[in-house]
This record gives sequence, C-alpha cells and structure tokens, in this order.
Amino acid sequence: MDDPLRVLIADDETIIRLDLRDLLERQGIRVCGEARDGEEAVALARTLEPDAVLLDVRMPKLDGIAAARRIYAERPVPIVMLTAFADRASIDRAIEANAFSYLVKPFREQDVAAALRTAVARHDELLRARRAIGEKPQREVVLGLRSTSGGAWPNLRLGREPDGSLRVDTE
Amino acid sequence: MRVLLAEDESLIRLDLRGLLERAGHEVCAEARNGVEAVELARATEPDIALLDVRMPRLDGIAAARTILAERPVPVVMISAFTERSLVERAAEAGVFGYLGKPFREDSLLPALTTAIARFEELAAVREQLDSLADALVARKAVERAKGILMDREGLSEQQAFARLRKASQISGKPMRVIAEAVIATLAPRER
Repeated sequence: MDDPLRVLIADDETIIRLDLRDLLERQGIRVCGEARDGEEAVALARTLEPDAVLLDVRMPKLDGIAAARRIYAERPVPIVMLTAFADRASIDRAIEANAFSYLVKPFREQDVAAALRTAVARHDELLRARRAIGEKPQREVVLGLRSTSGGAWPNLRLGREPDGSLRVDTE
Repeated sequence: MRVLLAEDESLIRLDLRGLLERAGHEVCAEARNGVEAVELARATEPDIALLDVRMPRLDGIAAARTILAERPVPVVMISAFTERSLVERAAEAGVFGYLGKPFREDSLLPALTTAIARFEELAAVREQLDSLADALVARKAVERAKGILMDREGLSEQQAFARLRKASQISGKPMRVIAEAVIATLAPRER
C-alpha cells in the first residue's frame, strides 16, 4: 500500500479531535498534527506541510474560514471544512476561502475519509494544471519570445478576446 | 443548477429529486443504471452529475469515467459502500465528492455546491492551458510569417514584426490570423 495521507486536523473541542484522529486512522489516514485554534492550524500547516487540512469553522483566536485563507495563501493544499452550519452563505464563505469540500457535523466516518481522498485527488489535478501553465493562475500569460536568429523580440502578452479568440499584445 | 441523477432504486431517486428541488435545483434527467446515466449526460448536458456507485449494467464509477471522457462535468458519488478501494477508484476516475448512504440533506447540498465551485476553478485553469497551446501555434505562425517578410521585403526582424503588429492593429484581427494570411499568400509553395 502506498504512503498514507498526512492530514492536519483543527478543532477546538478535544473530544472531536480525538474522534477525528480515531476515525481517520481507522480509514488508513495519518493525522500528522492537531490544532486547537485557527492560529495553531496556520502554524502547523506551515511546519508540517500536510497533504490535506481538516478545519472546524468555529474556533477561537482565528476562525476556520480565516485560517483556510491564510493556509492556502502560504501553500496550496486541499482543505475540508467541518461545521455545524449548512446555510448557503456559510458554504459560499468557505468556497471563497479556498475550501475544497464542506462537511456538516455530526460527521460520519466514511464521509470524512472520502471527502479527504476526493479533495486530494482533484486538488492534485488542479496543481498539475497550474504548474503546466507556469506558476500562479492568471488571466493572461506573458511569453518571453526569443528570436530564432538572435534578434530582440518584444514580450507577447496572450489573452482572450470576448469572443474567445486569442489576443496577442506586445508589452 | 441542472442535476443528472443516477440511482437504481426508485424510492431513493424520488427522495433525491425532492431534496434537490426543494433546494431550488432542477433535476434534468433521471437514470436507473450506468448506461442510462452516460446517455442522459450526453443528451442533457447537466451542470453536475450525482451518481450511485452500485447500479446495474454499468456501475457509477465506470459511468463517471465515461461521462468525464466525453465532457467535463462535476461528478459526486453516493453509495452505501465507502470502503477505501472504492473511494480511491472514484477519486481516480475524476469525481469531486463521495458521500455515504443514507445521505443527509445538509451534507449533500454543500457537497454539490463545493464540487461545482472547484470544478469551475479547474475548468478555468484548463482553458488557460488550451489558450497556451493556441499561443504556441500562434507563435510558430508569427515566426514563420516574420521570416517570410524578412526574405521578401528585406526587412529586419523588428521591422517585420512591427509590420505584422500594425496589420493586426489596423484590421483588428489577432496576430495569428495576420501571420497565417501572410503565410498563405507569400509562402513558397510546398512541393
């Protein structure tokens, strides 16, 4: 079997953390770190570089949404939110903060593991596509062209016309 | 959003339809097995597909793979079976979510919403990749057109490029179109 996924979990309730650790490990997922609040989650995500992060929304110091935003800005990683709230506004806030998936408490063992595995697979795909483009996603791409005969070429900025056709501008 | 629903048990289909419609979504198609799911995905082009795993004729994961090969769409699986090997197979097939049965309304809807959001993000990145591939084609065309202008008109490289650029600005057409026009009209005929 290949290496287990390494997941950072963050929840302010000790019992839920215990529960999560237990159920994840039963599913062959390793809990590499436990955070009790959002700030700890950000710090541990930085030092542990987990494969995925499971964040409670309501936590002291820094809530899960703000923590997700910071963690993702430092290093893109699939984030699954855990929350008691299933209203549209909460979901939209989580999506906007880069959460990949959203689970509502009381969560079930099989849903947590499956959400993590599918999030990791799709996030890998997203990262590969971003890397293929070259670093960060942006609407326009600049190609530094080198002339075949050694002459200087202006940079071409490639964009999209409103009708979807390619636009080429010089810098 | 328009949802394709695939589930072999009619009671569960009814349940899911009710739940989705109450949340303001439209069930654009109902499939009773994997083969129907593939056909209906093709015919109705849904915004998202919700597929049961264990279905007759073709299982949900194989159906997901076929559907995704034909047209990218966010897929979420639902199943009473959630063992690791199944989930991994589904993840590898390209699904965005996997929920255990019996499903809960307050878990299903967020799973669909997040699946669509992240799918759109991936689709946008893929579109940029395509545009980069287009750009490489454009670059080759511009290189070739430039060479032709240099040969035929005795221009420097920069002059040739400036001329293509100007033609693009005046005509309002992309450089690639101008370059292809130059190649079509001025290139030495290929034997």
